[in-house]
Amino acid sequence: MRLLELAGYLLEGASTAERVGAGRIVGGWEYVYAAYGITYAAIIVYTLSLWLRRRSAQQSEDFR
Amino acid sequence: MNRVRWAIFIVAVAMLGVGAWLALAWAPPDREMGDVQRIMYVHVPQVWMALLAATLNFGCSVAYLFKKSWKTDALAEASAEVGVLFGAVGISLGSIWGRPTWGVWWAWDPRLTTAAILLVAYAGYLALRRFVEDPERRAVWSAVTAIVAYVDVPLIWYSVQWWRSLHQVQSSPKTVDPQMTLVLRWHAFAFLGLLIFFIWSRYQIAMAARKHELAMPAELDEGARIQTSQAAR
Amino acid sequence: MQATAASALGTNRIALSATRVGLLRGLALVLTKDMLIEWRTRARLNALVIFAFGTLLIFSFALGPDTQLLQRNAGGYLWLALLFASLMALGESFRIERENSALEGLRLLPVDPRALFLGKALGNAAVLIGLAFVLVPVMVGLFGVSISLGFGPLALTLILGCLAISAPGTLYSAVASNARARDVLLPLLLFPLIIPALLAAVKATSVVLQGDPMSQLRSWFGLLVGFNLVYWGLGVALFPQVVEE
Repeated sequence: MRLLELAGYLLEGASTAERVGAGRIVGGWEYVYAAYGITYAAIIVYTLSLWLRRRSAQQSEDFR
Repeated sequence: MNRVRWAIFIVAVAMLGVGAWLALAWAPPDREMGDVQRIMYVHVPQVWMALLAATLNFGCSVAYLFKKSWKTDALAEASAEVGVLFGAVGISLGSIWGRPTWGVWWAWDPRLTTAAILLVAYAGYLALRRFVEDPERRAVWSAVTAIVAYVDVPLIWYSVQWWRSLHQVQSSPKTVDPQMTLVLRWHAFAFLGLLIFFIWSRYQIAMAARKHELAMPAELDEGARIQTSQAAR
Repeated sequence: MQATAASALGTNRIALSATRVGLLRGLALVLTKDMLIEWRTRARLNALVIFAFGTLLIFSFALGPDTQLLQRNAGGYLWLALLFASLMALGESFRIERENSALEGLRLLPVDPRALFLGKALGNAAVLIGLAFVLVPVMVGLFGVSISLGFGPLALTLILGCLAISAPGTLYSAVASNARARDVLLPLLLFPLIIPALLAAVKATSVVLQGDPMSQLRSWFGLLVGFNLVYWGLGVALFPQVVEE
């Protein structure tokens, strides 16, 4: 009985070590998505801003 | 030339699209930082672009003081604004990366700190431009401000490093893995394309504003082709 | 009113003297004029001192009665108070020129604009240094610090730091005083730039007050001197562009 328990504990320990890896940060995908999301959002917003300002610059040209 | 500008934009966006797959799926996770390290592929290139834009702004500012030209001034204005954009996003991403890796949102890391100071300095430059109405004075004064700010960069860098070295020093990850280097370079070129497109477009807006302010289109033709409304469309 | 009349008087004095005013002479004249104006409108200088003193007091209250904390950070508080006071001083130095278009009068005279910069910047530095020396006993009293390394290094730190604020401050004050939102623009432009000098001045002051077990003082002085060289140089080079028409 004791041997079986011991074997059970050893196996459990081994699989945990496997999962943890060598000091690796697990997960954190929400940070990654936030980072990429902010990047793409900024690009889209700025492109829009440029386009809108260009249009109003052209319109003021036309009115001169 | 408009076609070239739009082509650059489309290529850059396409590269970003492919880059997303490369960065989020294809590249391996980092040995120590795991998947969080993938933030680097968008953080680092944007900070590089901000520095590039700041350098372009410096060059234009110096050039302007030697030879007054509206083109140079417009380019300075454009590069400052785009630099602030990439800088702001770059710093935010640096902070987001820092949270899971360092455990804090901000840690007075010399690079982030210097970048933050520069961001405020160039935001001040943009504010100055908005608050000066006379176009010639605006051009001269913002050129002076930009030169002073840029020259300050190494001073800020060293002072923050010395300041920080009395406390713990943060280490930064080294990319050794060739796959990671590839993704990083890919994104660098994609963002470079975006930088060129943004600065070019913003430059045209600035030139149009100059024309509007001075209401003398003939005087502005220093080699710059003045686009008629038809050609612009 | 007194100030603008004095400024105009000063310009008259320059006009009546030599035809082409050399750099040093121009510097001396501008400096004398500004110092005279400062002296004649002493109330402003008094207000500056009271403001700085009040700022130091507020820091004591905002940061709690923990005497150890106050002692450790005394250098920081001193330089913050000086920085805020400098905004007032710098803003003033060009406001008097703007009123009654005294600056135009100065420009028409054959005074080298570099002399104008040096005179104004040195004048501002002098005011700040004076203020700093006045604040030292206040700081010692309020924060309970002792000057471990002696008065010499402290004086040197104060002088270098005030010079470092004055050079870019004078340059930017000339720019900001002619723009809209000038009160906001000066600190917005000046503060990011001044950070290396501020860091070095605060660190050097802390070391002078608390002792220097790691011999850091040299490096901070080095940074201060380097900063001053760069910024006085830039000021002399760029100021003529700023005031030119």
